[in-house]
Amino acid sequence: MAVIECKNLTYVYGEGTPFCRKAVDNVNLSIEKGEFIGVIGHTGSGKSTLIQTLNGLLRPTSGQVLLDGKDIWAEPKKIRQVRFRVGMVFQYPEHQLFEETVLKDISFGPSNMGLSPQEVEDRARRAAAFVGLSEDFLTKSPFELSGGEKRRVAIAGVIAMDPDVLVLDEPTAGLDPRGRDVLLTQITSYHKTRGNTVLLVSHSMEDIARTADRILVMNDSHAAMFAPTREVFARGAELERMGLRVPQITKILSMLRERGWPVGTALTMEEAVRELLPLLEKGGVRA
Amino acid sequence: MSEFISAQDVSFAYDPEEGQAPRNVLEGVSMRIRRGEFVALLGHNGCGKSTMAKLFNAMLLPTGGKVFVDGMDTVDEAVLYEIRRRVGLVLQNPDNQLVASVVEEDVAFGPENLGVPPEEIRRRVDEALKAVEMYDFRLNAPYKLSGGQKQRVAIAGIIAMQPDCIVLDEPTAMLDPRGRSEVLRTIHRLNREQGITIVLITHYMDEAVQADRVIVMDDGNVLTEGTPREVFSQVELLKKHQLDVPQATELTYRLRGMGFPMPCTLNEEECVEALAAYLPPVQAG
Amino acid sequence: MIGDIAFGQFIPGKSPLHRMDPRVKIVLIFLFIVFLFVAQNFVALALPVLAALAAIFLSGVPLRQYLKSVKAVIFIVLFTSVLNLFYGGGQTLLKLGFMEIKSGGVSNAIFIAVRILTLILLSAVLTFTTSPNSLTDAIERLMKPLKVFHVKVHEIAMIMTIALRFVPTLLEETDKIMSAQKARGADLESGGLVQRAKALLPILIPLFVSSFRRAYDLAMAMECRCYHGGEGRTKMKVLHAGKGDAAACAVSCLLCAAVIVCNILLPGSLT
Repeated sequence: MAVIECKNLTYVYGEGTPFCRKAVDNVNLSIEKGEFIGVIGHTGSGKSTLIQTLNGLLRPTSGQVLLDGKDIWAEPKKIRQVRFRVGMVFQYPEHQLFEETVLKDISFGPSNMGLSPQEVEDRARRAAAFVGLSEDFLTKSPFELSGGEKRRVAIAGVIAMDPDVLVLDEPTAGLDPRGRDVLLTQITSYHKTRGNTVLLVSHSMEDIARTADRILVMNDSHAAMFAPTREVFARGAELERMGLRVPQITKILSMLRERGWPVGTALTMEEAVRELLPLLEKGGVRA
Repeated sequence: MSEFISAQDVSFAYDPEEGQAPRNVLEGVSMRIRRGEFVALLGHNGCGKSTMAKLFNAMLLPTGGKVFVDGMDTVDEAVLYEIRRRVGLVLQNPDNQLVASVVEEDVAFGPENLGVPPEEIRRRVDEALKAVEMYDFRLNAPYKLSGGQKQRVAIAGIIAMQPDCIVLDEPTAMLDPRGRSEVLRTIHRLNREQGITIVLITHYMDEAVQADRVIVMDDGNVLTEGTPREVFSQVELLKKHQLDVPQATELTYRLRGMGFPMPCTLNEEECVEALAAYLPPVQAG
Repeated sequence: MIGDIAFGQFIPGKSPLHRMDPRVKIVLIFLFIVFLFVAQNFVALALPVLAALAAIFLSGVPLRQYLKSVKAVIFIVLFTSVLNLFYGGGQTLLKLGFMEIKSGGVSNAIFIAVRILTLILLSAVLTFTTSPNSLTDAIERLMKPLKVFHVKVHEIAMIMTIALRFVPTLLEETDKIMSAQKARGADLESGGLVQRAKALLPILIPLFVSSFRRAYDLAMAMECRCYHGGEGRTKMKVLHAGKGDAAACAVSCLLCAAVIVCNILLPGSLT
């Protein structure tokens, strides 16, 4: 069953002014419950605007966003309820931390939901565990943590609302390779454990290839592609025309394919080795 | 190539918070940057590479050992501004290093501080903006520019001081792929055409493979250094320290481990060529 | 976007006003503003108004920009005018209960409205045609004599420059933080005064923290670029008053003299 649907979704910035600009143009898509969606597109393609319409931070100029089949703007007064169900982690989320302790900050979201204090704390603790923050972190001030730890606190703050859909806008931006790796692993394991829907916006095609079931490609305000990861990355030439790339490993195999070798599309190192091994063995040069 | 910056057995500790013992961020690091070189400095957050950058232009002074810039000792206050002029530092966040509300006036900030005569500043500002391909934006407000453009303006602000060397501390970490390639193209051109020494601190391996030399730091020490090929051929060592290698490098490395005599490759073209040499000939039709 | 505010924004151009020495511009505009208040009758008032209209024409900035800045203050103008309606003597024109509108009140109201509007337009001319940096530069130089009294003129000007540079950045940041907190269910729109003030904390604290971080970065970037105060500093743009500035000064002085003459010769319009 579709958890989120967009129907003829259009968003125009500054409508009625000389500076008006269509950021999202007639997008139709449907995301199934439990899917892991990668969202790619260069800056200005409309992807940031699109995701902000999903939790009602932006109200579509025309068209609809449906959550479990219901228009989220059917009752504008209840839009906050939508934001609890569609959790949104912005870029550099550590810039939103404000409470005295990590636990209190993670609790901000759930406490806005009107839950009992016990339930709020339980959720906050569970969320902290999901992002690998141990017990002794909870009483610290968020401002004395390292950049990567702050980021995890901020992500926990959204996870603690226990959303059905979690949207992450470049969660690994600016982290070092180790931090990036740890965070991505935590996100995928959270997705597996909770079984909810995740949308991951990223410029790193390697990260997308590692995590996503399907990829949404935004280009020039339109949804240019929305297909399984393998299919999207098999269309490397088209992506390059949109100013996007494919993972390096995928590129290497597609270059070999262009030169005539019968290799398939590979998304990971293991797949590439599996594709290449039989051919290399035929070449018979193993030392 | 002659030596331009030399760090000799440098250690450094930040002032400890009350009641805590000082902890060394750097422990006896020695490093040489040669004139005209393009050096990439790699390592995790907290490995000491940003501290190293600030030691290079006397923003920080070593607590042990010595740093020399073109023979000048960085602790010598008499040459402080000369060192900062010669070794420009570009920071990560492009928003936080632009001072003025107009691009050209920001670029003029450095030379103004140096007391350069007005006509000369004008000439340098125009030249610097052309060198980073931002001349057409000279009257724009910085906040209306993209991240890559802002970062190029920051670089122009350094070039206008006519430095010998630019140290860039993760200049691309906050940029999108387009901004990243703009900045990289710019610094490679400055290195090639104007002979400016570049020290690029980065997390991106694809940026490091384009350097003349790579220095990898870990935990306050130099882990390894050499040409990109020398460094990235040590896949095991890098992996052990949870550092990335380009996928091309890893692929040929793995195949080598399976008994195929592959060379170390750094990018997709090299990797494809290496594989092509070992794959069976393509059957016609 | 809250970042795009019309009032107080520089609009690059090559008009005679853009080319004027900012020091001269500031002094003259200040002079006209003073004379707006010196003028005691409509003829005298017409002179600075004419000067303002001429400046608007000469600035080459689209009229709608000026309309935008007027729109921003129209409420204040109306409010003060309406208040003034009820002051002043003369013939009674209208009786509203215990309040009376007299002819003097009407002319007072018009007078005050024209004064405020002209004041706004004159300052708009200044900010539209002068880049923030040359504006602070000019202020720095005009204030130079104050150095004798140990006023830190260069530092004040540098603070202004930086403030102007970071206003749009911080506005954008406020936008982002608000979105992020709304996404966590922050309710910024409802509740009483205390609740609303409390609801601002999740926005103000991160904004403060980030301002400090930016300030720290900026201080470092400035030091890296050899900043060491105003001592021995030069400027790329040297201010020098040219023939145009001299002409503008001459015309302005004449107009101001005319205002005084009108004041003496003609009866006052204010009661």
